[in-house]
Amino acid sequence: MKIKFLTVLTIAIAFFISACGKSDADLTKAVNEKLAADKITGVTVAVKDGVATLTGEVADVTVKTKAETSAKSVEGIKNVVSTDLKTKPLPVATPAAPDPALTGKINESLKKAGCTGATVAVTNGKVTVSGEVPGAKYAECVQVIMQSGITGIDNQLKKGK
Amino acid sequence: MSAQEKYQSLLELANQNGTTYELTEGDNGTLVITGTAPSAEAKQALWDEYNRLDPDYKSGDLILNITTGDAAGGGANTYTVESGDSLSKIAGKYGIQWKAIWDANRDILHDPDKIYPGQELKIPI
Repeated sequence: MKIKFLTVLTIAIAFFISACGKSDADLTKAVNEKLAADKITGVTVAVKDGVATLTGEVADVTVKTKAETSAKSVEGIKNVVSTDLKTKPLPVATPAAPDPALTGKINESLKKAGCTGATVAVTNGKVTVSGEVPGAKYAECVQVIMQSGITGIDNQLKKGK
Repeated sequence: MSAQEKYQSLLELANQNGTTYELTEGDNGTLVITGTAPSAEAKQALWDEYNRLDPDYKSGDLILNITTGDAAGGGANTYTVESGDSLSKIAGKYGIQWKAIWDANRDILHDPDKIYPGQELKIPI
């Protein structure tokens, strides 16, 4: 009889502890510590009933994903809500040089890369490239154009033989 | 889906392989990634991932501008003189004044009327 009572009590206590788990305040602290350890900044954490809600603004989408994974990895966190965790608005890209200078630079770079047959036109930093380049050179030709400091591209370039 | 989301795996790869980058927004929502890769292999890996996400780079929603630490770009702002060129003709290709090229190349040029095929001129843009 005594043993039975103890068993029931133990089970009851065990159930009580596991049901409660860590408090939301403890979990908030744990998530914050985990984010800090993973060098993630800009995130505000609120935990309610084991669900972590992340808000704030992070540098880019990779940081957002990392924050979600980190928060989820904390023991006791059942779910992570991050719909209001935003990525920073990006600064506007500025062309590296005025349009004629970009045109000259791209043409010369294309020539050096052996990309004969490509025609470029630049308007406000956006390049429209057409024509046909040797198939084996295609990727390099696109790289050359994208590395010239442009802010947009309309790629109509074709792969030739 | 934003361009950032579309190219997330490319950005993840950059984080992993030691490429530092900055993001800006170009024409009409174009994602512009400007960065430096630690090696030519790392850079190539990014271009491979780009090609996987956007075959032949046709979508026009990403500008991938990655250089490697060393100046392996073949001197992007130089011009190789061809037969028949003159400083003013070259300047015309870049929409700049011939004198700007002359000033930038005084170390190798001694007379603005004398340039030779094969000479590498610095272009001040």
